[in-house]
Amino acid sequence: MSYKKRHKKLIRVALLAICFAVASAHSEVVIVVSASSPVTELSKSQISKIFLGKSRRFPDGSRAVPLNQSEGNSERDAFYQLVSGKSPSQVKAHWTKLIFTGRGQPPKEAANSDAVKDLLADNGVNIGYIDQSAVDDSVKIVAIK
Amino acid sequence: MTTQLDAKTDRQEPPAKALPLTAQTLASKESPHAKHGYVQVTFFIMAIAALAVLWSVTFRLIDNEVASARVNAINAVSTLGLTYEAQVVRAIREIDQSLNILKRGYEIGSNKATLTLVEDWGLLLPDFLFVTSITDTNGNITSSTRGFEKTNIADQSYFQEQLEFDHLAVSSPWQAPYNKAWKLTFSRRINTPSGAFAGIAFTSVDASYFVSGYEVSQLGQHGALGILGTDGIFRTRRSGETIISGELADYAHLVPDSDEVEDQGVRLLTNSWDQVKRYTIATKLYDIPLVVILGLSEKEQLAASAQLRQLYLQRAVGASIIILMLAAVMFYLSRQLQQSRQRIMDEQITHAQQVEHLAYHDSLTGLPNRSLFSELLRQGIAESKRYDRRFALLFLDLDRFKIINDTLGHDVGDKLLIEVAKRLNDALRETDTVARLGGDEFVVLLPEMNDEKQLSEVARKILSAVGEPFRLSGQDLCITVSIGISAFPLDGEDEQTLVKNADIAMYHAKEGGKNNFSFYSEELSADSLERLALESSLRLALEREEFTLFYQEKYNLSSNEVTGAEALLRWQHPTLGLVLPIQFLPLAEETGLIVPIGKWVIETACRQAIDWLEQGLPPRCISVNLTARQFSDAHLPGDIASILQTTGLNPTQLELEISENLLLSDFDKNIEVLTRIKALGVRIAIDNFGTSYTSLSTLEQFQFDSLKIDSSVIRDVAKEPENRHLTEAIISVGRAIAVTIVAEGVETQEQADFLLASSCDQVQGFYYDKPSSIKKPQSMPFPGKNYLPSGLVSNINLGNKVCDASKAVNIARPVRNPK
Repeated sequence: MSYKKRHKKLIRVALLAICFAVASAHSEVVIVVSASSPVTELSKSQISKIFLGKSRRFPDGSRAVPLNQSEGNSERDAFYQLVSGKSPSQVKAHWTKLIFTGRGQPPKEAANSDAVKDLLADNGVNIGYIDQSAVDDSVKIVAIK
Repeated sequence: MTTQLDAKTDRQEPPAKALPLTAQTLASKESPHAKHGYVQVTFFIMAIAALAVLWSVTFRLIDNEVASARVNAINAVSTLGLTYEAQVVRAIREIDQSLNILKRGYEIGSNKATLTLVEDWGLLLPDFLFVTSITDTNGNITSSTRGFEKTNIADQSYFQEQLEFDHLAVSSPWQAPYNKAWKLTFSRRINTPSGAFAGIAFTSVDASYFVSGYEVSQLGQHGALGILGTDGIFRTRRSGETIISGELADYAHLVPDSDEVEDQGVRLLTNSWDQVKRYTIATKLYDIPLVVILGLSEKEQLAASAQLRQLYLQRAVGASIIILMLAAVMFYLSRQLQQSRQRIMDEQITHAQQVEHLAYHDSLTGLPNRSLFSELLRQGIAESKRYDRRFALLFLDLDRFKIINDTLGHDVGDKLLIEVAKRLNDALRETDTVARLGGDEFVVLLPEMNDEKQLSEVARKILSAVGEPFRLSGQDLCITVSIGISAFPLDGEDEQTLVKNADIAMYHAKEGGKNNFSFYSEELSADSLERLALESSLRLALEREEFTLFYQEKYNLSSNEVTGAEALLRWQHPTLGLVLPIQFLPLAEETGLIVPIGKWVIETACRQAIDWLEQGLPPRCISVNLTARQFSDAHLPGDIASILQTTGLNPTQLELEISENLLLSDFDKNIEVLTRIKALGVRIAIDNFGTSYTSLSTLEQFQFDSLKIDSSVIRDVAKEPENRHLTEAIISVGRAIAVTIVAEGVETQEQADFLLASSCDQVQGFYYDKPSSIKKPQSMPFPGKNYLPSGLVSNINLGNKVCDASKAVNIARPVRNPK
């Protein structure tokens, strides 16, 4: 029994390692907030909810305004894959339905990681994601629980 | 042999005579059979009723379920339809709104950057879904939120449409070349300030956008959601995950003809595009050439109720099986019960039949017994009366049966009776009835028969059948039967008379020498009647002290003195009055009753003699007659001795008379008995002398004390010289052997004179004395010749004669022999 469990665990760890390897080969996406934001860490599910229009607030109760990257950006696809496991078409279908049924509007979009950093500084929005390489002092990485 | 066995084996033998008796009544009351049939039928009816209720309730429940499922489906379609309509209208309004903003923007000032500006303001729909573009008058795309597939859309129908109309145009669905996704385009015309055509603003969106609200949880896998153009082309429609666009639909069928909004209700339609039956609603949109379609699959909506229906049906089937099994069990149990009841009933009937058979049949022979016979006879009489028929009754009595029974034992007697019964049955027709009344008495009922000739034949047949020797216990036995016959209605019209008369006839046959038959006639009746009555009361007569003794005195002719008396038995019957010995003695002989009666006579006579002595009379000899049966009784000498002892009478004062006939019947044996009696000192007399043929040598062999000349000899002594000579001869013989001669039945002067002249010792007869109960205690002098009026003579004589003829008790009163 314990042997079997262990075996499974090993396989899982191996698979996860492969995923990270693939992701890191492409690009490493991080979730960021403005440097002055009190948010320090969020769970994937909390991030996913904020970006899929299911939640409008951070756990501390303050308003969350997400910023997306443009459709087709590799960061965008990697981000959704990371936090919700959804493919781009699944994300699209999600928003299609939400928009059609009038239950939400998709987040604003920024053209690239730098634009994200600018907009975060501008303060209209307060959470986004960028390529790790683009991280600088203006933003703070949110730790994923 | 047990009675039980008998009853069983006998049953087949004589066909049981039908009688409306208990067993039949029991058997005929076989209603339990029918009653149980009803009970069983009731079980079935109850089972069927229960099944009917069960199934009707089940079907009603199912119907209700289905009906409510349909209502729910219709309501759901109605509600979802309204919601979907609202969503579609809002979505199109949003598109139209953004197009209108662009339209107005471009109309105010034709700036190429207007689109970007509007987009930046956030007044356009999200560009990842909606691609919005602007064209010039020739259809060339001047700006676009994303790269558009074409550069000129002048050939598109919506562009053509906008050339003409200033309204929201909706394109037919078209496929994007790069990913084959179906798209819809909404457009608005842009006017120059003068109102001329300046181009269009249009937005393309995936057709599937309009069916993205499809929720499987609400619509199922086979629901339908879609928008249809008024041109009959589906812009898009969705069932489950299947999304189709550009398909032509049967618009007329799908969309109600009327424009009235109110009329657009839910209908159950088989949708033309996929042949699925759906509760469908189709709503035309206001001011937009589109129809909103929503449908729920009937099959899916009713699935739950169908499942429920299945469940109900299964339960009903289960319950039905239980009910049927219960009914079967009840039926089985009730059947068992019925069968066991039937068995008990059968046993009861069998038992009743057995009991009845025992009650109505003779256990020995299996023949009907007296009760059954009497019932059958009653029926026979009733039927014969009703149908004017005739029948005859045969009364059978076996001759000498008592002797066989006594000598060979009852076992042989019983076997004989069984054999006789068998023979009787064999000899007779099936319709005839043979019954055993008891003892050796049988009766036969011969229906439809009273002709004397026929009856004689039957009687002869019976006689010969019974007459054949019986082989019983290793010995041949011969028995005969006496038959008396009475016929209905001639010899009686009721049961008792018929039986009694047949019985009388039977007695007659017996008297006629047995092994014989006799028809009843009225002459027989009187005689036999008395006998019948006597037989029963005779047995009681002794203990009831109904017997008395009469005495007739004897006289010594020479001395003219009373020398003794003869005791004569009389029966004072309580109802018949005085009965003479001839009427009951044969019966007493036959039944053996004579033995105790005879003892009583001897003892009573002895006491009388003592009484006389005590009264101071000179010793008189009292004489008593002995009958054949008494004589054959081995106890006789002993009985006499003990009587003499108890009474204390001098034996010489007792004289026993034996008739000449009896003496001669078995001379040697009788002499032996007489010798033993004489040894007691008792006198012995020969009675009725002169009626048989006693030889002189006979008289020499035994020393008789008296010799009584029979009254028949004396009667004619005055007229017939032969009798006179005979009398004289007897007297002289008597003298020669020193025997006292007594003349009996002296009735006339002439007879008395003759006897005196002939030197007869003693006389006895009415001329001298009339028999009477108790003699006066005095020694009466010889009464004169005219002692009694002649009118009475014959009477007394008759009594005397009867007494003699019947060999009844005579009493000689011998004078002390003068010799």
